[in-house]
Amino acid sequence: MADESWKLEQELEQGRAQAWPQGGHDMGVLKLLRLRDQMKQQLMEYSAAVRGGETTFLDQVVEEKHIQGVTEDLETNKEEIEVSFWNKTLALQRIQLMAALRNKVNQGDKDSCLILETVNRIVLLSRTIIKYQQLAHEKKQKLIDIKRKRLSLKKDQRRKLQQIQTMKKKQKKEKGNKNLDEAKMLQNLEKERLMTTVIQNVFQNIIIGSGVNWAEDPSLKAIVLQLEKNVHLP
Amino acid sequence: MAVLRPFDKLPGLNSAALLLVGSDEELQQKLAEAILQEKRDFKISIHIATSLPLPSERDHLRPRIDLIVFMIDIKSKCSLKNVEASLAHVDATFFLGKVCFLVTGVGRVNCCSIETNAVCKLGEAYCSPVLFCELELEGVRVATAQRLLRMLQICAGLVPGFSALSFSLLMRNSADD
Repeated sequence: MADESWKLEQELEQGRAQAWPQGGHDMGVLKLLRLRDQMKQQLMEYSAAVRGGETTFLDQVVEEKHIQGVTEDLETNKEEIEVSFWNKTLALQRIQLMAALRNKVNQGDKDSCLILETVNRIVLLSRTIIKYQQLAHEKKQKLIDIKRKRLSLKKDQRRKLQQIQTMKKKQKKEKGNKNLDEAKMLQNLEKERLMTTVIQNVFQNIIIGSGVNWAEDPSLKAIVLQLEKNVHLP
Repeated sequence: MAVLRPFDKLPGLNSAALLLVGSDEELQQKLAEAILQEKRDFKISIHIATSLPLPSERDHLRPRIDLIVFMIDIKSKCSLKNVEASLAHVDATFFLGKVCFLVTGVGRVNCCSIETNAVCKLGEAYCSPVLFCELELEGVRVATAQRLLRMLQICAGLVPGFSALSFSLLMRNSADD
């Protein structure tokens, strides 16, 4: 295609040479410069087409990855630039709007009075809005405080109930233990009684068996009579 | 040659060539006349065809085609089919901004037989702008002629610093917004 671009220049030279003798064309300097710009543009397009049609002899995979990376970079760049462009346009429009408003207000005719009135009303309404929003905020805070207190009270309640439960359990255990102890003690008591009864009987029999006249001796009498009182209760 | 290529021939000096492809010849004539009536400072030649491929006998006499406009009539499905069949005979490098789809007959909403969705998808698939117009109305015809003339100027490389590809990207970005 390089030789075609050379042919392009040749043909255009011929074209120019042909145009001059014709006289119908007004070939002023400005027009020539314009034609030159056009030719530059067309040459750029052709060389871009040539570059696009070239095949590379490098590693295809590496080339593809490289191209992908470059494409992604370019895309992110483009998005960033678009975003910044839109932001700048918005800012510019805002500035223009404010400038127009200011000019209008400075003019001082009935339109600007309307504008001022509206602006004042807007300010008033915004102030009331802010006030009401503050009140609402305070009420919400109070509500939150009350809810928090309720939550802590509930927690305390829970804790207390748990304590009551554990204490009840303990009491039951202790009662059970006591019952066991009592039963053991009663058993021991019974044993002792039986033993004492046996010992009493043995004493009686010893005294009686020894053949001593226990009715005459007051101490022996007291012992035997005392021993009659059987400890063995029904 | 059966396939139209954009950079096959050398460009003319300060001139541009437009190719209108569509099934309604009367409308094409009207549009061509409207374009020719516009004020411009470069030579323009308008070629009209009903379908591609163009007959190869007169191929050497034809100048380099700078912009192809495919005209689709919204009232007839066969114009869409005709255009789709002709698209096969256009080289892929043409679709880098040198092709445009023009949908005519948009004024009559009640006899649409093609969905605008289908046409827009076609435009997206071929990365080309889709213009809607109603050529029966004088004002719209003049406006369309002016638009096409400006597009032709850019595609022929007669606007320094602005290529067909950048123009198509601009159209696509503004259409997305």
